Amino acid sequence: MPPPTCLRSFSQLSLDSAARASMASRARAHAQMACFSTSAARYANPVSKKKGMAQTKKGNKTLNVKKGRNTVQDTGKRPAQGERKAARKRIVLTNDNALEVATLKDMTKADVLSEANQGRVLGIPEATVDALRAVEAFKTTQGWSLFRRPATLMRKETIELAKVMKAAEDDKKTLRRVLSGERLSGKSTLLLQGLSMAFVRQWIVINLPEAQDIINAHTEYAPLPDSQPTQYTQETYTASLLSQILKANNTAENPMLEKIKVTTSPALPLALPADATLKQLIELGIVNPEASWPVFVALWQELTQPGRPPIMLAVDGTAHMMKESDYLNAEVKPIHSFDLTIIRHFIDHLSGAKSLPNGGVILAATSQSNAPSTPALDFSVQVAEARQVDPSKTPRWNPYKNIDPRVMEALKDLHSPTAKEQLKPLDVIKVGGLSKDEARSIMEYYAESGMLRAKIDDGFVTEKWSLAGMGNIGELERASVRLRI
Amino acid sequence: MARGELSRTLWSAAEGLRSAPRPQCTRTMRLPYRSLQPAARFISTTPSRSAELIKETPEPTPEPFTAAPEFQFEGEEDIEDGDMGPRGGKRSKGGNSQQSNNQLLRTLRVIPASRSYFSAKPTFNDDYLHVSALLRSVATLPTISSTEAPRVAWKTIDQYRIMTNEPVKTQRFHKMMHIVKRLNLVHPSLMPEHIKIAMRRFMKDSQPGDVVPEPQVLDQWGRARGVGRRKTSSAVVWLVEGEGEVLVNGKSLSQFFGRLHHRESAVWALKATQRLDKYNMFGLVQGGGSTGQAEALTLAVAKALLVHEPALKPALRRAGCVTRDPRKVERKKTGHVKARKMPTWVKR
Repeated sequence: MPPPTCLRSFSQLSLDSAARASMASRARAHAQMACFSTSAARYANPVSKKKGMAQTKKGNKTLNVKKGRNTVQDTGKRPAQGERKAARKRIVLTNDNALEVATLKDMTKADVLSEANQGRVLGIPEATVDALRAVEAFKTTQGWSLFRRPATLMRKETIELAKVMKAAEDDKKTLRRVLSGERLSGKSTLLLQGLSMAFVRQWIVINLPEAQDIINAHTEYAPLPDSQPTQYTQETYTASLLSQILKANNTAENPMLEKIKVTTSPALPLALPADATLKQLIELGIVNPEASWPVFVALWQELTQPGRPPIMLAVDGTAHMMKESDYLNAEVKPIHSFDLTIIRHFIDHLSGAKSLPNGGVILAATSQSNAPSTPALDFSVQVAEARQVDPSKTPRWNPYKNIDPRVMEALKDLHSPTAKEQLKPLDVIKVGGLSKDEARSIMEYYAESGMLRAKIDDGFVTEKWSLAGMGNIGELERASVRLRI
Repeated sequence: MARGELSRTLWSAAEGLRSAPRPQCTRTMRLPYRSLQPAARFISTTPSRSAELIKETPEPTPEPFTAAPEFQFEGEEDIEDGDMGPRGGKRSKGGNSQQSNNQLLRTLRVIPASRSYFSAKPTFNDDYLHVSALLRSVATLPTISSTEAPRVAWKTIDQYRIMTNEPVKTQRFHKMMHIVKRLNLVHPSLMPEHIKIAMRRFMKDSQPGDVVPEPQVLDQWGRARGVGRRKTSSAVVWLVEGEGEVLVNGKSLSQFFGRLHHRESAVWALKATQRLDKYNMFGLVQGGGSTGQAEALTLAVAKALLVHEPALKPALRRAGCVTRDPRKVERKKTGHVKARKMPTWVKR
């Protein structure tokens, strides 16, 4: 408070108290407030700066803490739309720097299912590679890009699967197998081997590349008319599946879908030309996704007519289809995966509710790296694995886990006691570690491809075999080919 | 302690002086001497803590303390006569013997048993003279080099000071220890027994190699057991002859260790000796993180392997699998943000 103002307030205070003694207390309060008020000072004009000293020089640097000023603009080229995803999903099946393995033989129709192949590395024929690529059997995580061309080791489990396929082919049986095993043990590769053997044997191959893609609500869905309880079709997905089926099974050297004529009279929403082939039927479904599910049903009916080739029906990432899907129904409740028509179709065959009259194999590969928790599936697989070891010692169900009764019902054949027959209709193929002979065989293939520069002797093989967790093939590849120092 | 020490040194001094021509009260001087012990010998002003000090010395039972017998001059009369002859004193026997005893006592010169009695550090001095004498006696014996000599943990100067209760100077102590160490270099096959006993006085109570662990053996199923630790992990491994199968906590190596480096660490003892295909191994490991668990397994495998093949020890040592890594997380200190990090400096 400037001194004149202050003095003035004090003088007023004394005047007030003298004049109005009766209102002494109130007046004093007011006067005091007036005395210590700063309003006069606040309302006073600001003191102007003294000339000659306060002006800052122009060009002085001041600290600039504002964000985003003077930052260097990133001039790098942004990837085009979809480019990053394409790079992520790209399947590279050849490595020009790897050596051609002179001794590598291809799978042939005559001996692909023979037991003599055990422990050999066999190349996959080019036509089959194209077909496998069409059904998306190759995965980005697999090491195909390390070698000149795709080749696989015919391991013990592969031969087991080959036996199953042979039995299905010869006796027109429907055999179902669940592939289980630890991480990186080669379940998806075994599935691929099954598919490639089926292609080489000229079976009809229908592959659902990843069960997660069906149930994660990324494609449109619609209730199937006249279904009780309501089922849901996925038109776009079914249409793309049909195009995969056509591309994979109708190759240049084996145009079997072109040769087979439609013999039944399917009830389709669209007109089919008379005397149509299966290829025309499928193309109808591809072009008109809204008709894709009836086309798929008609196609399946055609394929199960007598005299048609056996069928290989396969799925990877089975655990995803053993739970409720991400789709919602009209009551905003999750739809169970088994109510999606494609999955229902697969599960009917896996559980044995429907069979393949021309014979065939149903393959369901589990996954350890991308799998939701499905106690019913895990338990069923455990029981079947334990039963293979010792039928008297099977694990017991943990009552504190949530059971999905529909899944348990679908997999009940896994729990059934072993019949004495040679091949159970539904069983588990436990993909374990390689034997040392197999490990040596595949490591010799690595060495011949020039990807492993070491002398392959017993000590070296055993060392890598041990470090790979007793012959886990994925770890073996990692330890010997990928992580070279 | 001081009591036993003193008597012992006095004894040794008395032994050395036995052939001296002067008349001495050799036996009887021990205990009077002790009673004449000046209190100034204690370095500290606080009373000596005899109970603790006794524990540190290797002599468990102090020598029995008895009062000194009175001087008996009758037996030594002839000597005294010879001595006292020139004075011409005539001893009267009988009634005034007490008086004459006192008179004799007054004329007696009491000589301390130890020559170092009048020095500031008599025990140390005695020790020094003693080891010097010992060295003189064995100086001509053949010696071995110091690397081959038996490894001995000598007493530190502090331990020696506590034992003798004397303010021994560092340099002098080291001069004495130099002699003692020279004694240790005498060829072991020719080393006299009394020197060994004398050297024991300068050794620590526990010597390296005193505690020898019991040799491990294979159990009835041919398993060798080994225990290893690293950081906060500890591992137990059983090793049997086999073909290279490995289980850790019931899982395969690749399931248990995600990193290849950790897997290699876990079986490094076998890998470095090319024994990976000769043994099966199963281990239990707990505590710590992946690295600690893997390296605890290394040590455990090495120890188990040494049970099967003890001759591999040098190879395993070269591979770095024998010694336990003692490093641990350093503790946090008050006033610090972490173990060493200090808070950021602020002006105020």
